[in-house]
Amino acid sequence: MNSAAAQSISWDPYNTDLIPNPYPMYKRLREEMPLYYNEEHDFYAISRYADIEATLRDRDLFSSAHGDILEFIKAKSVMPDSVFIHQDPPKHTAYRSLMQRIITPKRMFAVEQDIRALCARSLDHLVGGDRFDFITNLGAEMPMRAVSMLLGIPEKDQTAIRESVDARMRTEAGKPIDLANQQAIQQEALAGFEEYISWREKNPSDDMMTELLQTDFKDPEGVVRKLTRDEISNIVNVVAGAGNETTNRLIGWMGKTLSEHPDQRRDIVKNPALIPAAIEELLRYEPPGPFLAREVMRDIELHGKKIPKGAAMIMLVAAGNRDESRFVDGDKFNIHREQRPHMTFGQGIHVCIGAPLARLEGRVAMEEVLKRFPEWEVDYDKAVMSSTSSVRGWDSLPVWIGSKPKNYVAPKPAAPAPAPAAPAADVTLEGTWNVVVKGPTGPQPAVLTLERNGDSFTGAQAGAGTSTPIADFKKTGNKIYWVNHITKPMKIKVEFTGELSGNVITGKAKAGFMGSYPFTATKA
Amino acid sequence: MPKILYIEHNGKEHVVDADVGKSVMQNALENLVPGIIGDCGGACSCATCHGYIDPAWEGKAGSRNENEEMMLDGALRVEPNSRLTCQVIMTQELDGLVVRLPESQF
Ligand code: HEM
Ligand code: FES
Repeated sequence: MNSAAAQSISWDPYNTDLIPNPYPMYKRLREEMPLYYNEEHDFYAISRYADIEATLRDRDLFSSAHGDILEFIKAKSVMPDSVFIHQDPPKHTAYRSLMQRIITPKRMFAVEQDIRALCARSLDHLVGGDRFDFITNLGAEMPMRAVSMLLGIPEKDQTAIRESVDARMRTEAGKPIDLANQQAIQQEALAGFEEYISWREKNPSDDMMTELLQTDFKDPEGVVRKLTRDEISNIVNVVAGAGNETTNRLIGWMGKTLSEHPDQRRDIVKNPALIPAAIEELLRYEPPGPFLAREVMRDIELHGKKIPKGAAMIMLVAAGNRDESRFVDGDKFNIHREQRPHMTFGQGIHVCIGAPLARLEGRVAMEEVLKRFPEWEVDYDKAVMSSTSSVRGWDSLPVWIGSKPKNYVAPKPAAPAPAPAAPAADVTLEGTWNVVVKGPTGPQPAVLTLERNGDSFTGAQAGAGTSTPIADFKKTGNKIYWVNHITKPMKIKVEFTGELSGNVITGKAKAGFMGSYPFTATKA
Repeated sequence: MPKILYIEHNGKEHVVDADVGKSVMQNALENLVPGIIGDCGGACSCATCHGYIDPAWEGKAGSRNENEEMMLDGALRVEPNSRLTCQVIMTQELDGLVVRLPESQF
């Protein structure tokens, strides 16, 4: 390795240039700098399969007590015990063993028929058309619905949610969504998670929620008791947060990767028994969560370099998954390759508890898509990719099914929000805004109150029965940013980044390890 | 070296020279035996290393521990001779061990 080349090795999770294709850099890291240090953001990164495997298995040396995302570790984030993805033993062990009794493969497999029916409902009306969107029409809703099924939210109570879903599915790719209408439906869908818990308490069934309510739990102090409502709510949030966006991304990568490998897609159509192997290869090749992080608990040495206690270590799962010393032609997508486990669901005590469900959703989605559409081609002009601190994948992946019309003129991009009535006049920011975050367990409403002091803004945001002050409110052009440290259902920092158009702000609310969720704020 | 015979669900056999002290799961992975996944790396947290111990070996292979019992309780296709192979550690006495693999691990 020559040092000039080495100097140009640079990787960080925020580098947008690397998002479309991070793999050449991963290869260089594996080969030239198996232990990488990033000065600017002060973290270490490992990229070889064997190193990542060893790290994830050594739970004493590599801690999750401050979470598994770089920003959280740097912030020394602390979460309630029941946010078990964010804990070490013995706290982790107490909740994990409880959850292992509850989220069982048996229970996950029991929802297969319902998931298949959902796929059919989502895809049938697209047959005969020209296009569909792997995310909008399939990936965006299926994972959330799958978790709802697991929780046992009855079909009839899902109606409002489904109406909102169906309304969106009926929207053709490239056409604006009627946001106002959608919000109204979503508010309705907010029949309330709390209400659901109470209802389930009186109407026990054999679902996950009933079990969370009834089970005897040995807490980290060794006391046998029932779970509190807060614990149940945190656990459900962890499960939904870990299971939604990741599985959504898997479905997007399915659309993209099979489009680029039509020969292998044909093999699968001819022999659907290849689907489970194809899903594993997809998970290896494009892991929805490309990296994980841990805190280093002792001074150590790796590849001849010292790493101090307290450092943040990033495990580049997406790099390890293509390590040539483990996977021949690692950068090649090959569903026929020798089957060896990948790292996409993690390893060790925190290994993904929902992996059977994710695999099942992937398999059923692939089966149902290929049954209807044996061929497609991605419309890259319209596809949108994004990457956060925890997932990488497609926000929108429209594809041509059947024939792409000659002289096709792409429709105008979807408007982010209904056109303002008086576009010239800037809306005054001070006052009351109705905020709706489309969170993992459904839309979460909140009220934001802003006060102006000269050029700066302060205020408070009320939601889930509590009100907390907001911070760092900024307006740059029509870009809006603020931070809300919420305390319910758990202590977490939520960053709102959006764009103001008329009297509506649309954008993403980033809730730490829970991921990013779309939000809208409408001036009341 | 003691040997382990893994028999895939489709009848395909794999004889492996096993490392003593490593689990039956680990020995399968290191020898590229398909049909065992071992997602959690042996932490008894994933149930993707499920195998059926040949009845002739049940005594020698020991019995399920509490955690394993709990995992198997929620797993699919469980039989009386089901084990999580990451919890069965290879010994010289287990030379010749026969493990049948389920149709699928998930
Ligand atoms: C393709 C989809 C998925 C991927 C790539 C994925 C990936 C992962 C990874 C890498 C971890 C380990 C995190 C760490 O070690 O810090 C994890 C943990 C977890 N996953 Fe998944 N996951 C997926 C789907 C799901 C689903 C569908 C569910 C729920 C039904 C789920 C629930 C969880 C939970 C609860 C944890 C925390 C486990 C613990 O800390 O003990 N995941 N997931
Ligand atoms: S390898 Fe995960 S339970 Fe055996």
